[in-house]
Amino acid sequence: MENLIIEATKYTPEVNLNASSHIQLIAGKSYPENTFEFYKPISLWVEKYLETLHDKNIIFNIELEYLNSSSLKAYFDLFDIIEIAHEKGQKILINWIYDADNDIAEETGEDFIADFANLEIKLLVKN
Amino acid sequence: MNISKIRTIMAEEGVVFSFSGMISQSLTAFMLETAKTQLEDSGEDSKMIRSMFHIAIEQLQNIMSYSKERDINDENKYTSPGVLVIGFSEKYNKYYVTSSNQIFEEDKEKLMNKIDEINSMEKDALRKFLREKLRSAEDKHDRGAGVGFIEMAKRSSEKLKYNFENIDGKYYFHILAYV
Repeated sequence: MENLIIEATKYTPEVNLNASSHIQLIAGKSYPENTFEFYKPISLWVEKYLETLHDKNIIFNIELEYLNSSSLKAYFDLFDIIEIAHEKGQKILINWIYDADNDIAEETGEDFIADFANLEIKLLVKN
Repeated sequence: MNISKIRTIMAEEGVVFSFSGMISQSLTAFMLETAKTQLEDSGEDSKMIRSMFHIAIEQLQNIMSYSKERDINDENKYTSPGVLVIGFSEKYNKYYVTSSNQIFEEDKEKLMNKIDEINSMEKDALRKFLREKLRSAEDKHDRGAGVGFIEMAKRSSEKLKYNFENIDGKYYFHILAYV
């Protein structure tokens, strides 16, 4: 399976999805105008990647400074996909990373933890 | 052209950033970054700036998505005429983000109901309401989750203020949020 790499823009995050290291990264700002169009290849990649049971610990490092409301929906849908794979036995850890003064990112992470109680989502404060 | 009049009004309203014209995604990013830098340079609180940024994103993307005058190009990119103003209110001692755009007359009631419902809720209820809407996806469309006003209200320190104006049969929607 090929890796999926997308460079960051002013309003879309850097994406580095790696099928061999099993460490996935999405980092930057997320407020595209066509949010679902932007996240579609990402969801498709993750879905396909998680179809095969990897005997590895899969890590998603997600660090988003700004999320518009449609991006919140995109992550909600992405976590749905990850939750299904988790229920099938995939070992997945999501690190929700943010700056110490970013209370909005912290609140968003807390909400994802509450909504996806079965998933292992860790809040990581960056120094 | 009376630039002096415009300058006077802007000073009276505490305007720190304003734009009137065609709003596009690239311009949205430019405006947000400019306003953010300006407020950072004035030594404003980073949490306040972040809230301002979130409110302005939702207002600008609402204009792009829902304006009656929106234009869609070959690459499915939207541009719509609108007005955005970010300023400081002496009365409230708070920054504000406000915008104006033309809407379809039939959207008026839908907008009123939506914002009134949001304004009736406190912060904790809004947080829960947003999560419910994200889960149910009942207001989702091809470009958004239909939850922009909830996000705006969550980041505002006052209830959202809005009104409509009918100018020669054209309906304008104005929204104002205090950060």
